[in-house]
Amino acid sequence: MPILEVKNLTKSFGKTAVLKGIDFSLEKGQVLSIIGSSGSGKTTLLRCLNSLEFADGGTIAVNDDIIFDSDIHKRFSDEELRRKRLHFGLVFQSFNLFPQYTVLQNVMLAPNLLKKDTPENNKQKALKLIEKVGLSDKINNYPCELSGGQQQRVAIARALALDPEILCFDEPTSALDPELTGEVLRVIKSLADRNMTMIVVTHEMGFARDVSDEVLFMDDGIIAERGDPKVIFENPKTERLRNFLASYSK
Amino acid sequence: MSFLEITLFLANGFVFSLIIFAVTLICGIPLGLPIAFCSMSRFKPVRAIAKTVVWIVRGIPLMLQIFIIYYVPGLLFGNPIFTQIDRYIIRNFEIPNDGSLTQLLLTNMGGLVSVLIAFSINYACYFSEIYRGGIESISKGQYEAGYVLGMTKSQVFKNVILKQVIKRIVPPMSNEIITLIKDTALANCIMLPEIIKQAKELAATQALVWPLFYTGIFYLIFVGLLTILLGKLEQKLSYFKA
Repeated sequence: MPILEVKNLTKSFGKTAVLKGIDFSLEKGQVLSIIGSSGSGKTTLLRCLNSLEFADGGTIAVNDDIIFDSDIHKRFSDEELRRKRLHFGLVFQSFNLFPQYTVLQNVMLAPNLLKKDTPENNKQKALKLIEKVGLSDKINNYPCELSGGQQQRVAIARALALDPEILCFDEPTSALDPELTGEVLRVIKSLADRNMTMIVVTHEMGFARDVSDEVLFMDDGIIAERGDPKVIFENPKTERLRNFLASYSK
Repeated sequence: MSFLEITLFLANGFVFSLIIFAVTLICGIPLGLPIAFCSMSRFKPVRAIAKTVVWIVRGIPLMLQIFIIYYVPGLLFGNPIFTQIDRYIIRNFEIPNDGSLTQLLLTNMGGLVSVLIAFSINYACYFSEIYRGGIESISKGQYEAGYVLGMTKSQVFKNVILKQVIKRIVPPMSNEIITLIKDTALANCIMLPEIIKQAKELAATQALVWPLFYTGIFYLIFVGLLTILLGKLEQKLSYFKA
C-alpha cells in the first residue's frame, strides 16, 4: 500500500492553471524526484502537499489519512491542519532558518513548542540529528555564521526533528554555490540510504538519476513523463523531456 | 534669582516633560500594536477604520490634537472633564502655595491628563506604522518554516517573528523616542508648565531671557543619555542578522 496518494490535483492562481490534474503515489522508503522547467508546477505541488497552498480539486492522502479533499471540505480546522502537516517535513530553497536562534535552538524549537518529548530528550535528539548532518561543532553558532550549505544541512536536521513520514525538498541546492551543493546532496543521499521516504524537487539531474527510485517530469501543470530514472534520462519518450534534458547537457 | 534657583525652577518644568515622555511610551508602545494589527487585518472595514484613524492622527498637528482633547469634551458634551479634575483636586487636596513641584502638579492635573491622552494616541499611531513596516518586512518564508514545523500562528509570531521585528524597528523607534522628548514642549499650548513654559514664565516675571536658551541643555543631556541607552539595545540585538 502506498504511503502517499495524490489524485487528480488541480490548482489555479487566478486564471493561470498551475496544476492540471496530478496523479501519483509513493511507496514507503522510496525517493521520488520531480524535475521540470521553472513554472511547470513543481513547487506548487510540494506546497499543496505541505498545506502551504490549498488545491482547488483532487485528494491527497498519507497512510489513508485524508490530508486534503476538495469534495468534502476545503479546509480543516487549524488544529487538524497542523496535525496533518506533520506527516510531511519541508526543506526550503532559501533555508528559512530562524536567524535569532543557534543551530541547536533551531532544531529544538518546534519539538519543544509541540511538547514532542521532554526538553532533555528533545535536546538529545536534536544533538543526534545535528551530528547526522555533520555539524556537531556548530551547535552554538547562529545561522549568519554558517555557509549556505551548512545552513541547509541545519534545515534538514530541523525538519527531521519532528519525525516526518515524508520529507520534501524544494530545490534544496538552487540557492547554493556549486561547490556547496555536494555536501547537501550527500546528506540527502545518506537519508535515502536509510530508507527515508522523500520527494525532491531538483535541478540536479545527476542527483535525480543516481538517488531516486522514480522520476516525475512535470511540464505545464501535468506529469508529462514518469518512470525509472535510467529510462527517463537515457530513453526519454517525449519531445519535451528530450528538449528539457538537452538544455542540461549543454 | 540665583542660577541654582533658576535651574530648579526649570527642572520642575522638565519633570512635566519627563512625565509626558514616560507615560506616552508606556501607553503608546503597547497601544500601537493593536492599531498595527488592525491596519493589517484581513477584514476590510477594520483595516479602513485603522487606516483612517492613523491618517487623521498623523495628518493634523499634534498641537491641534492637544487642543481637541482638552477643549472638545466641554464643547461637545458640556462636560469640561479636565477642568473638573482640577476642581476635584482643589476641593479634596491641601495644595501648598510655595511654587513647589507638588503645587505645580496638583494645580495642573487636568491639563496634564489631557496632554497624556493626546500624546499617547498620537505616538501610538506613529509606532503602529513602524510596527507594520517591521512585521511586513519579515519574509513569508519565516512564517512558512514555522507552519510546516507544526507551530500555531501565535507560536510562530511569538517565537519566530517578534524578535526579528524588534531588531528591525529599534532604529526607527529610537528616532521617534528622541523626537518625543522634544515634542513635549507642545504641552505649553494649554499652559502646562513644562520646561519651556517655565522659562517663558521667567521671561515674563523676571525679565530674564537666557533661561529660555538654557532649557536646551536639559534636552541635550537627556537625548544624550537616550542615545547611549538605545545604542546599547541595538548592540544587544546585533548578535544575529535578520
